[in-house]
Amino acid sequence: MKEDYIGRVLHIVTFRSFRGKAMDRYEGVDFYNIESQLTEEEVMIRDMVRDWVSDEVIPNIEHACRDGIFPDKWRVALGEMGVLGAPLEGYGCPGLSYVAYGLICQELERGDSGLRSFASVQGSLAMYPIWDFGSEEQKNHYLPKMASGEWVGCFGLTEPDYGSNPGDMITRATDEGDYYLLNGAKMWITNGTIADVAVVWAKLDGVIRGFIVEKGDEGFSAPEMTGKHSLKASVTSELVFQDCKIPKDRILPGVEGLRGPFSCLNNARYGISWGAVGAAQACFHSAKEYALSRIQFSHPIASYQLVQNKLAWMLREITKGQLLALDLGKKKDDGSWIPEHISLAKMNNVDMALEIARMARDIHGANGILDEYCIMRHMANLESVKTYEGTHDIHNLILGRWITGIQAFTREK
Amino acid sequence: MVEIAVLIKQVPDTSAKIEVRDGRVDLSSVKWITSPYDEFAIEAALQHKEANGGTITAVTLGPESCDKALKDAKALGVDNLLRVWSDSWGYMDSNAIQSILAQVLANLNVNAIYCGKAAADTGAGSTGPGIAQRLGWPSVANIVGIKFDNDALEVTQPSSSGQSIIGVSLPALISCDKGMNEPRRANVRGIMMAKKATIELIDNIHSDSSISLVGHSNPPDKPPGKKFEGAENVPNVVKLLRDEANII
Repeated sequence: MKEDYIGRVLHIVTFRSFRGKAMDRYEGVDFYNIESQLTEEEVMIRDMVRDWVSDEVIPNIEHACRDGIFPDKWRVALGEMGVLGAPLEGYGCPGLSYVAYGLICQELERGDSGLRSFASVQGSLAMYPIWDFGSEEQKNHYLPKMASGEWVGCFGLTEPDYGSNPGDMITRATDEGDYYLLNGAKMWITNGTIADVAVVWAKLDGVIRGFIVEKGDEGFSAPEMTGKHSLKASVTSELVFQDCKIPKDRILPGVEGLRGPFSCLNNARYGISWGAVGAAQACFHSAKEYALSRIQFSHPIASYQLVQNKLAWMLREITKGQLLALDLGKKKDDGSWIPEHISLAKMNNVDMALEIARMARDIHGANGILDEYCIMRHMANLESVKTYEGTHDIHNLILGRWITGIQAFTREK
Repeated sequence: MVEIAVLIKQVPDTSAKIEVRDGRVDLSSVKWITSPYDEFAIEAALQHKEANGGTITAVTLGPESCDKALKDAKALGVDNLLRVWSDSWGYMDSNAIQSILAQVLANLNVNAIYCGKAAADTGAGSTGPGIAQRLGWPSVANIVGIKFDNDALEVTQPSSSGQSIIGVSLPALISCDKGMNEPRRANVRGIMMAKKATIELIDNIHSDSSISLVGHSNPPDKPPGKKFEGAENVPNVVKLLRDEANII
């Protein structure tokens, strides 16, 4: 009888051990059965990314953070899965729904915000402007290799002195007849040092235009920024242009003015609204597991009302954030969205995720500061996510303008 | 060129909590997945096709909800999807399952069949060999390695003293074990192919079961664990692990 029992236990353990490398399949948080509103294709794509993150990212993310690197094999895997430039159609891109793209972001950021940042920058900030504003030749040349992950892209808008106020950028392009000459510097550029292709915004005769700069272009360098306490598994760089020669066929012909970079940011910010839900889910999941297993005063801390109150608040906020992201995704898919919808969702969901990370740290007690748990990593990452792609306050001002009709970004106009 | 069939079974998620209600297992709320050993079979079939060319048909027996397992296989790269349904579904014993699948496979004109060595729910491991018996084909089971030739295979099978390398001519049925290969992941392109895929349905085959199911019951409760504290108990713990648990 005893041997039978042991045999049964071993049988179960054996089965669990080879469903991917992760011992327990992560099921996500779906209190309102959001899955029922997804297509079969969207569920399959979500699960594909989810399983990859469980098997390949989560076991390795802390090492990547300690070493301050973005593992190159993740670039390869993202390309092989086909999730880069997910909502774009043609030129080697799959043309998925925006809901599917959001789910991809959610699952990637469940692993790490740096990983989702890589995909956001590649797809929404580097591929999208080429896809929407590029010439046919530019699309054919760059997009298939960027979709496959062979070429990495980055996006140069922010400058050392111009963050929330990109319209006053000082990077300049001059027309030199056979080529453009680019001068200036960009800062806080995700993927910059590892990028093969940089979409850089600069003023040409006072008008903001997009230029495609390639690794190795004369006068272009991309030194990595170091010393970050956040997004440590993500490459952040400066882009420096000193009389950088850009061939004439590398200007994006289809857009002028801030509409170009802002339309890219709309897509990236949309992805962040989902990604933040993924980070929040990771923190909630860890807090729940910890609370159930941590014994104090002879009982699991999950059995105490104060902890249950925290867990209930976390579930409540995650569920609201999910519903917001899903509804925005449907609006993106049917075209009924406005930029203010995206501002509200990005701002709300990142804020929510950051508060959940802080509360999860609280539930984990002292253990919450260890890299054995994901909490502090997500919390530190989310501090960046709250600021990049439009700061929390700038999104408030975007909503304030929508409510009142009065812009409050500057006193000058 | 080789015509390949891969047999897939949809089973409850191996980490799902199984409950018994009114003398029957209640599976109404469990998540369903492709049986893990079948993932090795799908990968072996894909590698066989890549080595020798041909087409792969994924076959499952079950209700419409099993279409998900077939589409998951399509996303990995199989060519054709076939679901078999029988009115005798409900409780079907191994003989009935083998008989139905053998009839279907005999008409598919395939010359290589891959399946998992056992399903994760029943763990019987009889479907593959039983089908091969009915088809009059050679069957090699628990395979952990494989090399492909045009009309023959060289497979590796664990044995008590090491490994056996076995040559087998096609047609043949191969049941696949853990370690045989590293199952690939789906990608977006495959998933989009799966979305458009059509599933052929065969629903006019019947086979009677020779045994009937009387009821299900939960396994006995796990006996309470024993707790030992203090270094002085180490010899006692070692003795119990050796003599009672038989694990050291």
